[in-house]
Amino acid sequence: MRQFWQSILHLWEAKPGFKAAAAYLMLLLLLALSLPWLPLPYPPNYLDLAHPYLPPFKDIVHPLGTDGLGRDLLSNVLYGARTSFMISVPVMLFATAIGMLLGTTAGFFGNDSLQQPRYSVLFWLLSFPAVLYFAVYLPLQVYQLEMELTYIILPVAALTGWLLLMWLLLNALQRFVPFLKLKMAIPIDKVVMRLTEALTSIPRFVLILALASFIPPSLFMLSLLLIFTIWPATARLSRAEMLRIKQLPYFEAACSIGNRPFQLIWRHALPNLAGPILIAFTFGLGGLLTLESTLSFLNIGVPTSLVSWGRTISGIRSNTSAWWLVVFPGGLLSLTIMALYTCSYYFTQVFSQKGRR
Amino acid sequence: MLLHLLKKLLLAIPILWLLGTAVFLLSRTLPGSFGEERFLNPEAGFYSKSSQSSREAAWEQLQQKTGQHLPLFYFSISSAALPDTLQNVQPSARKEQLQQLAIKYGNWPAISAFDLQVEKLVKALEIYPAKGASKSLQDLRYSTNISDLQKAINKLSKLGTSPAVASLAVAVSEKIEALNINQSSYTYLVPRITWNGTVNQYHHWLVGILTGDFSTSYRTSQPVLEMILEGIGNTFLLLLCSMVVTLILALELSILMAKKKLQWLRRLLLPALFAIDSIPMLVLAILLLVLLANPDFIQLFPVYGMGYYQPINLSFWQNLSMRLQFMALPLIALVLVNLPYITNQIYTSLQASLQADYTRTARAKGLPEHLVIRRHALRNALLPIITIVSDFIPALVSGSILIETIYAIPGVGRLLVESVMARDYPVLVAIILFVLLLRMVAYALADAAYFWADPRMKQKTA
Amino acid sequence: MRKIYTALTCFLFLFLTFCSQPERAPEEVRVRLAADPETLSPVSYSNAGALQIVNLLFQSLLSTDLGTDEIKPFLAEEMPTIERQDSITLYTYTIREEAEWTNGSPVTAVDVAFTLKVAKAPLLNNESLKPQLEFIQDIRIDSDNPRRFTFVCSGYASEMELLTGDFFILPAYLYDPENLLQHIQVSALSGDISELENDKKLKTFAAKYNSPNFGRDPKLLQGSGGYTLENWENGKYLTLTRKRDWWGNNTSNTQHLTAIPQRVSFQVIPDITTALLALKNRQIDVLESIPTAEFKQLKQQSAFLKDYALHTPDAYEFVYAGINTRQPKLSDKRTRQAIAYLLDAKSAMKVTQDNYATQTAGLIPPSVSEFYNNSIQPYSLDLAKAANLLRAAGWQQEQEGWFKIISGKKEQLTINVIYRAGSISYENAANILQQNASQIGIPVQVQGMESSLLSSKSKQHDFDLFFRSLGGNPFVFNFKPLLHTAYANEGGLNYTGFGTHESDRILDKVNGTVTSRQEMASLLKRLQEIMHEEAAFIPMYYIKERIAIHRRFTNAKISGLKPNYDVSAFTLKVEE
Repeated sequence: MRQFWQSILHLWEAKPGFKAAAAYLMLLLLLALSLPWLPLPYPPNYLDLAHPYLPPFKDIVHPLGTDGLGRDLLSNVLYGARTSFMISVPVMLFATAIGMLLGTTAGFFGNDSLQQPRYSVLFWLLSFPAVLYFAVYLPLQVYQLEMELTYIILPVAALTGWLLLMWLLLNALQRFVPFLKLKMAIPIDKVVMRLTEALTSIPRFVLILALASFIPPSLFMLSLLLIFTIWPATARLSRAEMLRIKQLPYFEAACSIGNRPFQLIWRHALPNLAGPILIAFTFGLGGLLTLESTLSFLNIGVPTSLVSWGRTISGIRSNTSAWWLVVFPGGLLSLTIMALYTCSYYFTQVFSQKGRR
Repeated sequence: MLLHLLKKLLLAIPILWLLGTAVFLLSRTLPGSFGEERFLNPEAGFYSKSSQSSREAAWEQLQQKTGQHLPLFYFSISSAALPDTLQNVQPSARKEQLQQLAIKYGNWPAISAFDLQVEKLVKALEIYPAKGASKSLQDLRYSTNISDLQKAINKLSKLGTSPAVASLAVAVSEKIEALNINQSSYTYLVPRITWNGTVNQYHHWLVGILTGDFSTSYRTSQPVLEMILEGIGNTFLLLLCSMVVTLILALELSILMAKKKLQWLRRLLLPALFAIDSIPMLVLAILLLVLLANPDFIQLFPVYGMGYYQPINLSFWQNLSMRLQFMALPLIALVLVNLPYITNQIYTSLQASLQADYTRTARAKGLPEHLVIRRHALRNALLPIITIVSDFIPALVSGSILIETIYAIPGVGRLLVESVMARDYPVLVAIILFVLLLRMVAYALADAAYFWADPRMKQKTA
Repeated sequence: MRKIYTALTCFLFLFLTFCSQPERAPEEVRVRLAADPETLSPVSYSNAGALQIVNLLFQSLLSTDLGTDEIKPFLAEEMPTIERQDSITLYTYTIREEAEWTNGSPVTAVDVAFTLKVAKAPLLNNESLKPQLEFIQDIRIDSDNPRRFTFVCSGYASEMELLTGDFFILPAYLYDPENLLQHIQVSALSGDISELENDKKLKTFAAKYNSPNFGRDPKLLQGSGGYTLENWENGKYLTLTRKRDWWGNNTSNTQHLTAIPQRVSFQVIPDITTALLALKNRQIDVLESIPTAEFKQLKQQSAFLKDYALHTPDAYEFVYAGINTRQPKLSDKRTRQAIAYLLDAKSAMKVTQDNYATQTAGLIPPSVSEFYNNSIQPYSLDLAKAANLLRAAGWQQEQEGWFKIISGKKEQLTINVIYRAGSISYENAANILQQNASQIGIPVQVQGMESSLLSSKSKQHDFDLFFRSLGGNPFVFNFKPLLHTAYANEGGLNYTGFGTHESDRILDKVNGTVTSRQEMASLLKRLQEIMHEEAAFIPMYYIKERIAIHRRFTNAKISGLKPNYDVSAFTLKVEE
């Protein structure tokens, strides 16, 4: 892990291009985080109805001009950056975490390393529909009918009791039925791979559009949706890397000493994974920024009150001569993506070289 | 070869089926169904053209006719406290009360008897109206608490307008008492599975799809297949043109860059491509629009659409030239967006094959550089390009969605965005199936191209 | 290298090739349709475009004359005579003597009876018309005069006169040549009709009638109107031609019965921007609902104005805010008035309609000056007044906002605004309210939602404030379903819960016993005053329609009523 940091530090010192890009990104992030405390002339959703479509550099109070409702462009552009980061960074982090977890597990265990006794597999299979009914269906019904909380607690309690009972029963049963005691392999690799295939068989944008039509527009739901569609990329990457690492001699040695799987992955595999994951992370972040602004441009899946670059850009549709609505947010968006791609490019140079060696 | 293709297509079917089913079932579980808007919720005007009850009756008739009253799937799971018949209760506020009562008190026969009695009472009160009854009646109709219900009925019976109403009120209060005594609060925890057989909405839908009937759009009530076929031409024209132009440009650019003499060009082009790559399609497309199709700057191209109806049959070339005018901007946008990635890939693969042994031999023979590149290196670099192209198609589809929306081109992409916004699920399902199919075809074509381009593959299968 | 250049030049050449505009026949009127009509069945058409076309093929007894915005007799000789008995009302019509079908046979009361049967019978595709004609219980045909008949209607409402004449009359000879419906009585079609579902003849008729042919086939779409369907290319265009010797042209004293253009063609152009392009290229003659920004641009192009005239008639559609009076926090009318002072209709109008709208104080269109109460001042933005009203209503201003003790509980004044998602005008109005309210410390939550969800929320009274629009007209003013307290329970159309004893009384009178227009005017003016005072249903502005029509036509009959012009009246200007 130390080596990892050192190589990044080295990049910072040796490559001015990386330094500029990374510095820009950090600055923007800092700005976005400190926005609420900055003295901006107008909040982003303030409507200055007396001045719609004000061109930039004409008025001191609206240095970058205003949109069709007289919203100040400067604060909209800055708050748009904040929104972009607030959506894409957490989404990317979560998606990477999920993807890594599933990918490394799939790569590590393969199709036949994970052995479980039959009765516990049976338990999981049986508890699944019960969870669906008691923990999803019934609470949802009660929630829709706006009834008291007790009607939600009751099914959850029933579920816990039911699961406990089943576990005890199966445990008792396996003592008498030797068939249940036999261990069986869980094809975790196959399951994960099929899942990623199914999710990537449709272009991601189409999938997001289709799913967005089912959810009410809200930031949280949109983030969940994005995570759901993005994790397969990281999962594939980390699975491939895991398979490669598994072949490395030091890992085999660590295995033979008898380390536990969790330790193996945590101590030995993760440090090796960090480089490729970082490349994918920065690159994916750029894509996510684009996706977020495209969705808010189309006004799909995003609440209309959300300040974002895409919303500002969409103002051009009602007035094609208002070029400033595209140039400023669009320019900032492109610059940010370029910085991310630059970082990703330098990371690739460092980490893939090391990998080859 | 054919077998291989067939196998791939067969593998795709489960995915198609799963996704289609998921979208269909999700869309049907959402509140608000097709036609409800038109029949049940007319915008009120200066006078009303029909009464609420007659609209409801017409709505029910329509539902029966379109099969929307059928159960959703082969089997349904619900709480034992909630009977199936509840689904058809109108209006929704009354349905909600009955559902809440069912969950709380669990005894459906008692609840339904209560409901029947209340209906009678409501009818009686219409004939013998009583002052101050409406408040209590509303409580009776919408409250879900036994003590509240009792209070309301007590108030009502004290009004004493006519003996008929009074006796009905007594009957209602008896039913409430019965419900109070015979309640079983935990019934709703018990699941109940009902088998519906093939008479269900999903089965009808699936059979329809298999026989080529994608049903009709909620939005325009046009057949879905017709709508997609209308848009497909424009989308394909755009996709095909942009792909061809991109590939030609990318090939020529990478050949130029590979030449030793043109090092300066490479130093200029690569960063430029990198910069273009960073501009999102959204920004690029709109910038083009603002710069090249705006009366305030330069108006080179028509802004929107894909031409419009021409009454006289134009010749093919006239037609094409008119279409191309409209397509110019979208095409440029699509090409610019995809050019950097494709060029980069081709260039890398060209570089690799230039360093290979056979090229070195060719060079040693004294062939001029451009011939070495074109004859030897390029042919071998083409193989990875096939993969790139087939991977490129889905990206192109996503790209065309945005482009079509921005430039108002009546294609499949814009249809998708519109149907997402209007929650037009039949169209949505069909488009997703269509995109999946397109991808499968692209894969198949890529396989065929491999087969054709690489003689080694032939030997393997032979 | 050379290759690239050649390729590029070829490419550019193709792009920049001129595009020739085809010539057009001047006597043909070309109209844009926003959507394919899908079906032209006079009983079950589904969009406005279809209605416009059906209006040229078929006729109803009464209809609006767009030239004067009045109800006039079309197929009927004159307005019906009305006779009120206890629980029924009788409307007696006589059909014009000249009126005939395409085959030359006269239009008679039998055709009207047949139409009623088609509209009311079970098994048929008539769901949209059926509820509308439920109140007509029977038809009595005059034994002496086959063109004279009487509708027997249950109850009485002022709009019934219009409704009895507002459906298209079908030709019985063409639709039912085998007389399959003859044995059914109109009176048997009210109430429980489940028995008829097994009627063999009706079943045969249903099988025939429900086929798409009855909405598509030019041979079946032959009514008493002045046009016949010539051509229908699905999703592209429809053309209608004038009947060679139409009866309507031979009547005297009927300027509203017209069929002047030789041909009318309807182009299906779904996208408004494409339609505008077609307009600029002189390919269509009429375009309505032009977006305000574009309309403004068109107004400045002199080359365009040479060929096209722009019109902005006052439409009968207005945007209003509804406040839920059932919410305890909003039940005091002073609180609602305070909110009304925050709406700022003027800015909303300016931002979304670019002043192609008229601010209104009452729900009667200001253009109907006879009934509009112009002594009321519409609510304008006034923060100080709003704050004073809130204080008067018992709200206390604190650090975080306004608070009041309501039935023993301290509650904050918050407003949850809902509107139909995707509509710019409501969204802007909501944003403006949010901003103004935040200035005096009222938190406003704005939520755009799907129309079905919006309907169910308004029906269940689960909202604080909504923005909606309402389409009206200048001749029938029965606001009872909209404003009477009898319709204020869950599911009723009175979503806001507006209503006082006086307003209920006025609404009952307007619907029933008013005899003179003067009395009507004073009642409606008083109603507007009450509504202004109560501030539950707050009209904001009436929209102006924006239309362009080619200058070679006169007599376009521009109107605020849909479809905003009467294409059958378009007359070519005589060359000077």
